Amino acid sequence: MKLSNIYEIVLFVTLILLQTLLLNRITLFGIVTPVFYIYFLLKLPVGRNLYFVIFSAFLMGLIIDIFFNTPGMNAAAITIVAAFRKSIMGLFFEREGYDDFVPGMNTAVGPFVRFTIFMVLLHLTLLFFIESFTLFNLKNTLLRIVTSSIVTIPLIIGFDSLIFRRKPSEQ
Amino acid sequence: MRNLFNFIIRNSHWLLAVLLVAFSFYLVFTYNPYQRSVYLTSANNVTGWFYSLSKDVASFFHLKKNNQFLLERSAELEREILVLNERIAILTAADSAEVKAFVNDSISSHSQFDFIPAEVVNLSFSGANNFITINKGSRQGVRPDMGVISANGGVVGVVVSVASRFSVVIPVINPKFRLSAKLKNSENYGSISWDGTNIRDAQLQELPKHEAFHKGDTVLTSFSRIFPKNVIIGFVDSEGRSKDDNFNTFNIQLATNFYRLQNVLVINDTYYEEQKQLEDSMWQ
Repeated sequence: MKLSNIYEIVLFVTLILLQTLLLNRITLFGIVTPVFYIYFLLKLPVGRNLYFVIFSAFLMGLIIDIFFNTPGMNAAAITIVAAFRKSIMGLFFEREGYDDFVPGMNTAVGPFVRFTIFMVLLHLTLLFFIESFTLFNLKNTLLRIVTSSIVTIPLIIGFDSLIFRRKPSEQ
Repeated sequence: MRNLFNFIIRNSHWLLAVLLVAFSFYLVFTYNPYQRSVYLTSANNVTGWFYSLSKDVASFFHLKKNNQFLLERSAELEREILVLNERIAILTAADSAEVKAFVNDSISSHSQFDFIPAEVVNLSFSGANNFITINKGSRQGVRPDMGVISANGGVVGVVVSVASRFSVVIPVINPKFRLSAKLKNSENYGSISWDGTNIRDAQLQELPKHEAFHKGDTVLTSFSRIFPKNVIIGFVDSEGRSKDDNFNTFNIQLATNFYRLQNVLVINDTYYEEQKQLEDSMWQ
């Protein structure tokens, strides 16, 4: 097993634990929940096998759904995001010869921030609109998308800057 | 032909994505809280065990507050027992032997409702799909359709699915929840539902138009097979918007604070089977 596989498994498990045991308990004003587990899709290498990306994202969504009692909702949203991930990456990162490139604050600050904002907004929009099939309330849904993004994006960027620190020699 | 195969192979990851998304949507749309599979919810023993582990750590930090609450509650109940004992003493001391017999009978026989204490191990209150997981299941006698109240006596919800050690409860703060209710000082019935905006509030709908609004009125359960009569649901807070001109809607503040819910009581109606059998027999 390669080191990168272990990294992926650790990331997968850690994010599920973080989301279910900690972040799901944090609910500000009854509507804002940080939806952090999408970080998994941000931190896979650019050229990672597409089947792996889509299937692992689906699995993660399904596990989160089982914990949250929301059958299918997180799974649907994150799988759609995973399917478009490669095309979205093309918008923000250089494509050629960078298959092992892992986006992050230590590698490309500007593109990573823009990429994060785009992915989180896409994911939360899908997630909350799928959720609103059962309870339609447009104002409430939009409010939840905006407020949850405002909490989630800084959390991801802060977390990434802390964990993957820029090496002193590179500065 | 070869190009077609190449095209399909190159794009087959889209096929995978479409299949998985379709499966997810199948789960979304066929989902029904009253026929939930235990495996896909937090009532399954693995997720339940996981949640109870983390809850153990969390509840440690609330020990002091909970102790205080239990002390107050037991003092209250103690007082109630004293008052009741006095009343029994008065009644049994009465001159008629028949009365004495009745009183003894009704006290010594077991009451209609038993309570199964349980702890909340998971609860979500952020969206349209709020459910509560509690750490008692079929082994402790929990069945679907049992009512659940909080330790201070307010309505929490109804058990929907049961595993051997855990159960999932659909709370008042779920848009699919309905419960018939009435105001304390009136004989008119309405129905409780939740509009999805605030977890401290719910709506009392379908009240007759002439029902007057009084801030602070107590809202109680009325006849249902799930809750005993007169369990507190909440207090009238403001006048709400009605869907329909023939009825009044009041916003009520719920008696249960879901933000701080830790201990609950599952109500076991010992007459449930008998009543159900009787009512079902009418349909045959």
